Amino acid sequence: MKPDGSAAQAEPTDLDLVRGIKSGDEDAFEQMVERYHARVYSLSYGVLRNAEDAEEATQDTFLTLYRKIGTFDESKKFFSWFYRVALNQAYSRARRRRPTTAAVPIEDYLPRFASDGHIASPELPDWSASIEDGAIARELAGRAGEFIADLPPAYRDVIWMYDVEEMSTADIAETLEISIPALKSRLHRARLYVRQRLAEISRAPAPEEVSR
Amino acid sequence: MSDLNCKRFILECLIEYEDGTMPADERALFEQHMELCPPCLRFLTSYRATGKTLKLLKPEEIPPDLAQSVLAFVRSRAGRKA
Repeated sequence: MKPDGSAAQAEPTDLDLVRGIKSGDEDAFEQMVERYHARVYSLSYGVLRNAEDAEEATQDTFLTLYRKIGTFDESKKFFSWFYRVALNQAYSRARRRRPTTAAVPIEDYLPRFASDGHIASPELPDWSASIEDGAIARELAGRAGEFIADLPPAYRDVIWMYDVEEMSTADIAETLEISIPALKSRLHRARLYVRQRLAEISRAPAPEEVSR
Repeated sequence: MSDLNCKRFILECLIEYEDGTMPADERALFEQHMELCPPCLRFLTSYRATGKTLKLLKPEEIPPDLAQSVLAFVRSRAGRKA
């Protein structure tokens, strides 16, 4: 009971809302939109890097939810199913927006080692302290987003969900239908790739600096 | 872990060190290695900075009327009131 004596209204679960939508309850659909629109937008933005495209992808995702909710298996976790719907919408739109380019060869950006196991990659400047400056950190983040967009989807999805969306490994593994070890392997390689690319742009002087 | 070197540290074990799933005895070996290996320590620092940088990638704001625009869109396309 709440202090005023009225019964506390329990928050409906995702499954409650799913069943409501299936039965034509428009209030359930509105609550689902309210619950997930920001996360779907954030995910879409990550793939598309453009606010207008992200908004349209979000709309398409909820339209798909509305039309396809009957295909959702209620023994599964709703959010994992819905996240895949959102990812597919975002990638579909991305393919229409951008000409298909070959994914970056991630192996080219992994560290190299000597035969004795010691680091053999050329020493790059330590840029990590520079992110204490908010403006520099945001600029590097923007570049990191571009680098991630070049990754093969198997790596791009994992690093986005874990490092940007901060989803749990269990939720990511279920969403992508991969094992936790496979998830960690992809995440680690994707991070190594982004780290290397950020180090390289920190090394290269900006064109305006060269011309000064 | 007796053959711990930079390659094992960076390629095989770093993620478990960072996500806290590495056993305590292996963590201790890792930390010993880092004390003696400045390149690995620098690598770890920049690896962590990469994660921090990526957290800034979320869109800074969600369009304030997004939920309403989604509902309007679905209602216009769905053939009946959603």
